[in-house]
Amino acid sequence: MVQQQNQSSRGRAVSDKANREMKYVISFIFMILLTAAAFYLVSTGAVAEHLILPLILILATIQVFLQLFTFMHLDQKGTAFYTIFIIAGIFFAAVCVVGIVLM
Amino acid sequence: MEVNTEIKSTRNMPNHLETTTLEGRNKVLGFWLFLAAETVLFACLFGTYLALRHQSMGGPESSELYDLSLIAVSTAILLTSSLTSVLAMAKMNQYKLKAMLTWLGITVLLGLSFLVLEIYEFVHYVHLGHTFMNSAFGSSFYALVGTHGAHVTFGIVWITTLMFQAAKQGITRETAPKLFVSSLYWHFIDVVWIFIFTLVYLLGKVG
Repeated sequence: MVQQQNQSSRGRAVSDKANREMKYVISFIFMILLTAAAFYLVSTGAVAEHLILPLILILATIQVFLQLFTFMHLDQKGTAFYTIFIIAGIFFAAVCVVGIVLM
Repeated sequence: MEVNTEIKSTRNMPNHLETTTLEGRNKVLGFWLFLAAETVLFACLFGTYLALRHQSMGGPESSELYDLSLIAVSTAILLTSSLTSVLAMAKMNQYKLKAMLTWLGITVLLGLSFLVLEIYEFVHYVHLGHTFMNSAFGSSFYALVGTHGAHVTFGIVWITTLMFQAAKQGITRETAPKLFVSSLYWHFIDVVWIFIFTLVYLLGKVG
């Protein structure tokens, strides 16, 4: 019984690892695509100039969340405090940027 | 039953080797607090740059300076190094020392080539008259991009020393948290670069 459990959990662990590495690669491909999209928007002038900044900012933000939740493992269990810290950091960072730019 | 828990603690928890000890958990927790503080540091530099980026004092302006193809190459290099760094952590949690060291070695090499490109870029700009002392645009540009470059340099040195330690001591409860934390740092460098290429280079081209 125990052995059977071991074998099945081992099998699950192996497929988990394969899935995880696959997830990293997929996330990486998305990041490359988002980066390429941002470069494309700027270098071809496909959209109106006043739309470019919000669009590339959205693309960058999606990329950052991909980094945080896949590469930096915030999607896993037991990371609530890390998330609280980094969100607090992002909040103060946003206050600083807006404050300095508008000053 | 005991055998089962043993396997669970080492084999069945793929990404938790770094948090198996209290010290490891505290290291990771403290490091996230550090990253939050770093976010604010870079935010201040970004704010300064965005406020001053048009004050070029007759020197070259951002749209004349920046070369998007060079930036695309360094962006690709840094993004790839972020992937190799996370793959190294995956290998660490499978106790594959050689594979982990290989991925970390690739990460360091990619970081070095990023640094070489950045130095080339800065030297090129100085020849064009875009220096730290030249204008408010120059000061804020070099302060922001230079601070990022300094982080890359430190990351390269840090990861290299950890590679030597891991080669000597193997993947243990001592070395795993250190390696994991250095990998978090490397991803953070990449996150900052995403905003640098967006807000400095791409925005600089738009005007």
